[in-house]
Amino acid sequence: MVSLPYRSRTRILTQLLQRLGLGFLTAFAALTLTFFILRLIGTDPVDSLLAQGLTSAEQAESVRQELGLDQPLLTQYVEYLSGLLRGDFGISLYTQRPVLQTILEQFRWTVELALTGLVIGILSGLAMGVTAAWWENRFIGSFAATLASLLTALPVAFTGILALWFTRDLGISGSKIVMPASVLGLSISGAIARLVYSNLLESLHGPYILAAQARGIQRSFRLLWHALRPILPALVSLIALEAAFLFAGTVVTETVFSRPGLGRLMVRAILDGDYQITQGLVALAALFYTASHIIADWLALMFDPRLRETA
Amino acid sequence: MARTHVRSSLKGDGMRRTPGFWLSVTWLVTICAASWLLPIFLPHDPYLPVADPLLSGRHFPPLGTDALGRDFLSRILYGSRMTLSAAVLSASITIISGIALGLIASTTSNWVDRVILGFVNAALAIPGLLFALLLTAGLGPGFRTIILAIGFGLIPGYTRLARSVFLQIRQAEYITAARSIGMRPMRIAISHILPNAIRGVASFSALHFSWAIMGITTLTFLGLSGDPSIPELGALLNSGRQHLQIAPHLAIIPGLLISLTILAIYRLSEELD
Repeated sequence: MVSLPYRSRTRILTQLLQRLGLGFLTAFAALTLTFFILRLIGTDPVDSLLAQGLTSAEQAESVRQELGLDQPLLTQYVEYLSGLLRGDFGISLYTQRPVLQTILEQFRWTVELALTGLVIGILSGLAMGVTAAWWENRFIGSFAATLASLLTALPVAFTGILALWFTRDLGISGSKIVMPASVLGLSISGAIARLVYSNLLESLHGPYILAAQARGIQRSFRLLWHALRPILPALVSLIALEAAFLFAGTVVTETVFSRPGLGRLMVRAILDGDYQITQGLVALAALFYTASHIIADWLALMFDPRLRETA
Repeated sequence: MARTHVRSSLKGDGMRRTPGFWLSVTWLVTICAASWLLPIFLPHDPYLPVADPLLSGRHFPPLGTDALGRDFLSRILYGSRMTLSAAVLSASITIISGIALGLIASTTSNWVDRVILGFVNAALAIPGLLFALLLTAGLGPGFRTIILAIGFGLIPGYTRLARSVFLQIRQAEYITAARSIGMRPMRIAISHILPNAIRGVASFSALHFSWAIMGITTLTFLGLSGDPSIPELGALLNSGRQHLQIAPHLAIIPGLLISLTILAIYRLSEELD
């Protein structure tokens, strides 16, 4: 087939724009869902303030007015959305500080943890997957494959505790980045390794591998360059999915290792019934999730020319 | 005719079961039996202190006591029972609603399908644990909340999988035959699609059950069950964490129980596929 570079470029653009629109739609739906779940099935935040003795019955009414809780739900919803568009996430009920500021303070810790974890996860996942496919019928290969499926089943909480236990005498502080990030990374590496392993086995039987073999290309090069390349699009979209799991993982990892961060903030907000913080965090997560998917789609298009033609 | 065929294919699968499969079945039967039957014979209440705190197994057989002097074996067994029952409840919510939604989406009109799929995709834009956390935030911390949150949190993903299984079965010729003799869509769904979907649905139902265990223990680990005295594996894992130096088994044993159970169910789900 003759490729049409100019036309295919506009196709990519429309495709990406479509994904962008879809992404915003889902992020918007997630925000809406959050808002109504918290308002409709949740308890009144002012009631929980009263129950905890943080406000008096006389003050309650004025607090309600201040927060706009006395207004109809739809008015609150519109106010909330227009606030979001202006970058106003509201004010925390408990700390009386802007939600955005509270989130940004903790943001650095979680980003540091999640990014390091992601890098460790991708590298160890690739290593395990390639090892398992390379020495398919040897002990080390089946060991890597078993380790990978073991890692998908272990809860982050348990691996974290095991890591703390194994290193208890070494004097390594749990709040340092290395251990939490490794635990987080290993929790996503299992799925990556399994994807790499099963796809590598498949692509190693492809005709282009045979062709490469006929041309006398070395086995290691065949594996790493010819066989690994067609996996990249699938790998990238898995990593985008894993980015979402990563957020969930940070909640647990931060608790296990007593690290500050967004996950701990989320748990505290839920236990306190601090809606504004919860909402802000969900908004952030939805945006992050949507963005990671769009980036993944774009990367998949970069790595796989076939997708551009069939679009 | 068709029935004998199904039976023989099931038998054929049975011949190919691996040792890993039987190991998993044995583990699951053991943990279920132990957690449901043994507490009847145990002498100690899991909620009451019976000896000094943090005794080792040597001084208070067989597993010693926890930080409040309660019999750890009792707490572990009651904890497994609590976790497994909660996971069964959550998974039932997921599977029943998921199958119902999937059936409705795949058999009724096109726009119903689109509405359901739209909701499913929007819910899937929120990562699973976050969705569960969100429901917990709405309902307020508590053990019942956790069961509901995990159960409902897993519905979207399950619905999507179930719907695709049902849609595939709808392509079969016996469905066309049933439709051509004038059977109602709902009757087709219940008497033809559902029985034939069981094999297709079984594998990811098991997977969702293991995710329910993972989700429930994660939320209780985070302290969202509200009451820390409830013996539950995730909560035990969290409370054991504080005594890793003196009594590591307080955290290691619940962690191992959770992991082994999840692994066993994973294995089963792979074999069912």
